[in-house]
Amino acid sequence: MAVVFTTTRARFEDVCTVEEALPLLEFLRSGDDVEVDLSACTYLHTALIQLLLTARPRMTGSPADPALARWVAPLLTGPNIEGDESDG
Amino acid sequence: MTTLLERFIPEAREHLENAAAGLLKLERDPSDEALVNEVFRSVHTLKGASGLFDVPGLTRLLHAGEDLLGAVRASVVTLDPPMADALLDALDRVSAWVDELQRHGRLPDDADGASVDLSRRLRAFIPHADEIVTAGALATPAARADWLAELPEADRLTAFAETLAGGPALLAVSYVPDDGCFYRGEDPFNLFPRLPGLRSLQIFRREPFVPLAETDPFQSALAFRALVAQPRAAVEHLFRYVIEQVVIVAVPPEALVLPVGDLVNPGALPHFDGDAKRRLAARDFSGLRIAVAALLEQTDARLWVASALRWLDAILAAQLPNPIWASAMITAIAEVNAAPAGEAKAPGLFAPKPEDLAPPADAPDRPMAARVLAEQMRIVAMPGDPEVLQRRMAAVEATVGSLLSSLGWSVRDGELAAATAEAAGGMPEKLRELITGLQVRAERAADGPEAVPASMAPLLATSATADPGQPAAGDAAQVAHVLKVDQAKVDALMNLIAELVVSKNSLPFLAKRAEDVYGSREMSREIKDQYAIIDRLAQEMQRAIMDVRMLPVSEVFQRFPRLVRDLSRKLDKQIELRIVGEDTAADKTIIESLGDPLIHLVRNAIDHGIETPEQRVDAGKPEAAMVQLKAFQEGDQVIIEVSDDGRGIDPVAIRLKAFEKGMITEEKADTMSDQDSINLIFLPGFSTAEEISDLSGRGVGTDVVRTAVEKINGQVTVSSRKGEGTLVRLSLPLSMAVARVMMVEAGDALFAVPMDSVAETVRVPRSRVRRIKRSEAFVLRDAIVPLVRLQDLLELPGQAAEVDEEAVLVARVGGAIVGIVVDRFREGIDVVLKPLDGVLAGMRGYSGSALLGDGRVLLVLNLKELL
Repeated sequence: MAVVFTTTRARFEDVCTVEEALPLLEFLRSGDDVEVDLSACTYLHTALIQLLLTARPRMTGSPADPALARWVAPLLTGPNIEGDESDG
Repeated sequence: MTTLLERFIPEAREHLENAAAGLLKLERDPSDEALVNEVFRSVHTLKGASGLFDVPGLTRLLHAGEDLLGAVRASVVTLDPPMADALLDALDRVSAWVDELQRHGRLPDDADGASVDLSRRLRAFIPHADEIVTAGALATPAARADWLAELPEADRLTAFAETLAGGPALLAVSYVPDDGCFYRGEDPFNLFPRLPGLRSLQIFRREPFVPLAETDPFQSALAFRALVAQPRAAVEHLFRYVIEQVVIVAVPPEALVLPVGDLVNPGALPHFDGDAKRRLAARDFSGLRIAVAALLEQTDARLWVASALRWLDAILAAQLPNPIWASAMITAIAEVNAAPAGEAKAPGLFAPKPEDLAPPADAPDRPMAARVLAEQMRIVAMPGDPEVLQRRMAAVEATVGSLLSSLGWSVRDGELAAATAEAAGGMPEKLRELITGLQVRAERAADGPEAVPASMAPLLATSATADPGQPAAGDAAQVAHVLKVDQAKVDALMNLIAELVVSKNSLPFLAKRAEDVYGSREMSREIKDQYAIIDRLAQEMQRAIMDVRMLPVSEVFQRFPRLVRDLSRKLDKQIELRIVGEDTAADKTIIESLGDPLIHLVRNAIDHGIETPEQRVDAGKPEAAMVQLKAFQEGDQVIIEVSDDGRGIDPVAIRLKAFEKGMITEEKADTMSDQDSINLIFLPGFSTAEEISDLSGRGVGTDVVRTAVEKINGQVTVSSRKGEGTLVRLSLPLSMAVARVMMVEAGDALFAVPMDSVAETVRVPRSRVRRIKRSEAFVLRDAIVPLVRLQDLLELPGQAAEVDEEAVLVARVGGAIVGIVVDRFREGIDVVLKPLDGVLAGMRGYSGSALLGDGRVLLVLNLKELL
């Protein structure tokens, strides 16, 4: 199991593929008080990034994977950069 | 296979053939605009049609071809042989893919990779290909990297410093995956970490926010923008499967200098402008940096001015700071600083026009280069005492040096240093000359990229608007006249007509029976009347179906321009191919079986016949050799001649070779006529090529040609004059379907001999038949004709009847005359020759069977095999 779901927490482990998109979406829809943990994730499929970017759940811990830490994590923790500027 | 694909395949082939033929003509006359348009349109139409199917590799390759042809059409580039090679290779590849599509309904696995490689090869011919791709693919301003300011400033500062320190050139990569990319197993984000040169990455949603409840998790909605310090080829390779969704633009380092932040007058920079300019003029870069650092400390880091100061620091931190950039930055900071609160606008930096902030690929800010150079000229011209001059020249050297490196230009090693040293010593001529040279270069460079998009504009406009209309009109006209029918259907129809011809032949027998058996002369006559009508109709039908099967020889001829071109390039021989009478038509079977023999003959002519240009000049011939393919109709035969004006065939050499190979005896070699010697080349295993080349002489000789031609009842003759050339003549029947045969009787059975091998029929008195040992012969017009008895030949039972006169059919078999003794001659008839099949297929001596009107089967003899 690449993403381990509990009621309010999704823990991403190792390789997380597109297969996880539907369960993740369900999880994210389940309530406002959800959090995700990317610290053990080594590979995150674009579809999952897209969902996280849309839902912007709370993050606990930062990814150990350098690429995720550098390029993805700031998008989820930083200020919401969605909006007009991104249409460039 | 879907119906749509079924229809696409023949159309694709047609377009490919048109395009290839057009290209060959175009290569000879690149200025023919109509031809360029035609080729372009073929490729364009095909590309459009291919978009209906899931064949991205094929479409992409055609797109690249279309772009290159578009550039040719817009006269941006001129078609030259290497370009034609690349285009033809691409068309060949597409053609192979179309075959694959027909067989398996999909492209081979390596298609995408091959497509990218070939596309790149094509695009390499287009100057400033990026701009064309950009304009063609996504003609929006977004295609330019005008989003660089959105990348984090820290990333840009790092990349800027790295590049100035001699790192690889920067690329701006914009990747917008399409909606369905997840379904194809693509994972856009995870491509980026695989770029070691990734300096900055921005991930954002393409569309405004969509609530989570309405999100489709499998539909991609993201887009990516990245700054990459890596060679373009490596980036393209990584994105090769999605290359059409990616825009890659080269980014000169100064394009990154885009301060961001709140445009508020910090009011904390008194006298910065004047002081900084002074330090800059004195080239006191370190002093200036200290001042900048001090200012930064006093300024709110979120302000535009702070950002600009950081950039100024980065510019100054370079080993050879670019004074123009620094000066522009200082001016900009001063402008904001001087503006009344709340009214400050982001000033233009190095270029007044906004589009220059994101210069197109390969075109660093060229106007800037011109300005820098003009400034240096002014400095060089200024008078001053030696000490000042020396400092000034050192500055000029540094500026010009950094300009050269930023433009990727170079001058001879040490030339710049030597010139500035001389100038510092009071002799500025060399330095002036050098700068003038660079100015000219900068101007030319500035014209270049500007001129290209301008001339591309009409191209893009016409390809988008004019084209869809034109071919559509043409197609409509074509559809009205041409019906594309599967060949099998025509063949089935022909077989039915053949049956009809045969069954109608039974009517005369019926008429005879009506008279003989039933004694009704009246009935017999009526049947004969009806027969006459049916006979006429059947013959007309037969002629009509033959017409349908008739193909022009251009079907086979059209591949030769390409073959000749490739061979002549390979062998470095100049060859002009002349094609005459390509409209001459013959039956499909004949035309199709002509391909291989003709290729062999043309290859032979070029490889062995045509001399090298030097040899030709020595022999007093024009440098360019001529190979002619000529087709015409002669009686009921089609004649095809392959001729060349090369060195001809040397009968003496042939005789010698044949003797050496033990094919002929010494006496025969001594007594042979020249023509007979030349005919020796048709013997199996004969090849005079001095060395085996890649083209011909691969162990298959001209005998292959003869065998192939004789299989379709044709003949080959060669005539040649040493030093003047060779002419090979193929005579072929117009149609194979109906054969004229002569019936003969032997041993109470009926046989037929193809009419074209019958020379004459004679009756020879027994007394004139001579016995020579065990063979018989007779003399016909002063020539000895050997005699064979068909009954013996076929090992038929029964004794030959003792007659006074022998019925002798004189036949030509493989150039020799032979007399065949039969029991009785019968009439000649037209038959539909059917090859023997099933268990009889391997039987030698018969070329096929035919059905007679009374139901009997007639065996048609193959004399060549029999004797």
